[in-house]
Amino acid sequence: MRVATTARRRDIQVAYLLLAPTLLLLLTALAYPVGWEVWTSLTDLSPLKDGPTAFVGLENYRRFLADPEFWRAATVTVVYAAVTSVAKLSLGVGFALLLARPFRGRALVFLAIFLPWAYPASVSVIGWYWTLNPPIPTAYSVFMGNVKYAVDGVLGGGAWAFLSVTLFNIWRGSSFIGVFLLAGINAVPPELFECAVLESKSAWRRFWLVTVPLLKPFLALAVFLSLTTAFADLANVWMLTAGRIVYPVVGTHAYWLAIRGGQFGPASALSLTLVPFLLAVLLILFRMFDPPEKERA
Amino acid sequence: MVIERKWKTWVYFYIPLTVFVVGTLFPFYWMLITAIRPDAELYRSWRAATNTPFWTLQPTLEHFRDLMAKTTFPHWLWNTLFIAVVSTAISLFCGLLAGYALARLRFPMAGTLGTSIFVTYLVPPTLLFIPLANIIRTFQVGDTPWALILTYPTFLIPFCTWLLMGYFKTIPKELEECARIDGATRFGAMVRIIFPIAVPGILSAGIFAFTLSWNEFIYALVFLSSPEKKTVPVGVVSELIRGDIYFWGQLMAGALLGSIPVALVYSFFVEYYVTGLTGSVKG
Repeated sequence: MRVATTARRRDIQVAYLLLAPTLLLLLTALAYPVGWEVWTSLTDLSPLKDGPTAFVGLENYRRFLADPEFWRAATVTVVYAAVTSVAKLSLGVGFALLLARPFRGRALVFLAIFLPWAYPASVSVIGWYWTLNPPIPTAYSVFMGNVKYAVDGVLGGGAWAFLSVTLFNIWRGSSFIGVFLLAGINAVPPELFECAVLESKSAWRRFWLVTVPLLKPFLALAVFLSLTTAFADLANVWMLTAGRIVYPVVGTHAYWLAIRGGQFGPASALSLTLVPFLLAVLLILFRMFDPPEKERA
Repeated sequence: MVIERKWKTWVYFYIPLTVFVVGTLFPFYWMLITAIRPDAELYRSWRAATNTPFWTLQPTLEHFRDLMAKTTFPHWLWNTLFIAVVSTAISLFCGLLAGYALARLRFPMAGTLGTSIFVTYLVPPTLLFIPLANIIRTFQVGDTPWALILTYPTFLIPFCTWLLMGYFKTIPKELEECARIDGATRFGAMVRIIFPIAVPGILSAGIFAFTLSWNEFIYALVFLSSPEKKTVPVGVVSELIRGDIYFWGQLMAGALLGSIPVALVYSFFVEYYVTGLTGSVKG
């Protein structure tokens, strides 16, 4: 008995020792910054301002809630996240189902489908930019210009820019989700799918009654990653418009305030307004699906 | 295997497959064609009789030469490689130890710690770049590679840990117990028995981390400012686009060259990557 307890105590010590580097790094580079940000959002801290920093309470938040610009950015963010997630998920499921059965040249097709995600976004985005918003003197700029005016005319100014960001996000994200779900399908024993084929002739029914339930944990995680990355998107919008934001999302708004404007307080408040969105998504998904780690642990 | 009619295979399989592949690859083709197109052709009018939008008859390497000789692109390549390799190494080291502890050792709060490490992966950089910018200014590491080497692990470690933890769980406990009975210490068993078996998992975590740090944009945009210190993703966008002047040929050449390391890594390790991914989640 005594031997067992010492062994267990050693196990605990070893465990904390092994976790130490990770915890140390995450605490200094994650927990501390988040705390700092919450505190800063309640002040008017700015490197450009002389004099002491004043505590302003919830003033920064109140200013945003009264600001129509903020609500516009928030609406754009939500629409963007919803649209891209739905499209990414359906395309991703399509990729995964197509690649699930063996055929000649599957490895090549797999690489082709994986490429958009593995490729650095900021450079592949240039290819898109060149395609969708060509500069004036190029060969097909007249044609794309007409498309742009047609879209903007129907949906309002800036719609084309927004559409191109959405398209890019879908193109890149569905690639990752497809590969992720394919990994999920591969992890399911093939006998289950074979039985399903005997049970029902309708591929549609088989898909909803067999494939979807089996892939549930993977689907949940895919939806979650897709929604959070879209909510917090700054990079895609920034890159595709080269910093000239026509349709602001919350992230780009915060970047302008903090880095260009030096207003750390309001900018922190702004990026913290994303947290309720993220928490809501997290809660809904945890309700709807069992999170994969819990179910399998 | 159910025998299907031929038109059905076409409608449900070949046609969608072709559409998908063309859709995913077209932007890359467009980049390639722009990179090797001579300037005169790039700016030719839409209605010109000789206009060939989808191919070029006089491919040139001029843009690649300009990119290597006239811009700081070689510096960017080196910076990105250095930062990606070092931060991947740090994250793999931390992730291996933490993943092992979480998968194999019983200790108080194991579940809570595991979940909270996973949740940190979901904290988006958009939330963190403001406070991190402040910290980096305080420690005066701004505009050096260390600013990125120290911040990238914040999103790399959680993923590595989570992936490796799953992978370790798929390895039978008995293997390790046998080694312990034969006299190996816990540490010895971990390093000599478990880590070698986990090589596919380690490789795929490493590839993933390398890709993420190679492609990272926001932190690199915020924390680096001198042109020759930048990484490829930021340098290409911020230095080759000046106001309304776009160096299209060079941009595309940079876009192609800048991703070669990632492409190489994937073409060598794609098998490991997929097994690592499936293995880990299966656990």
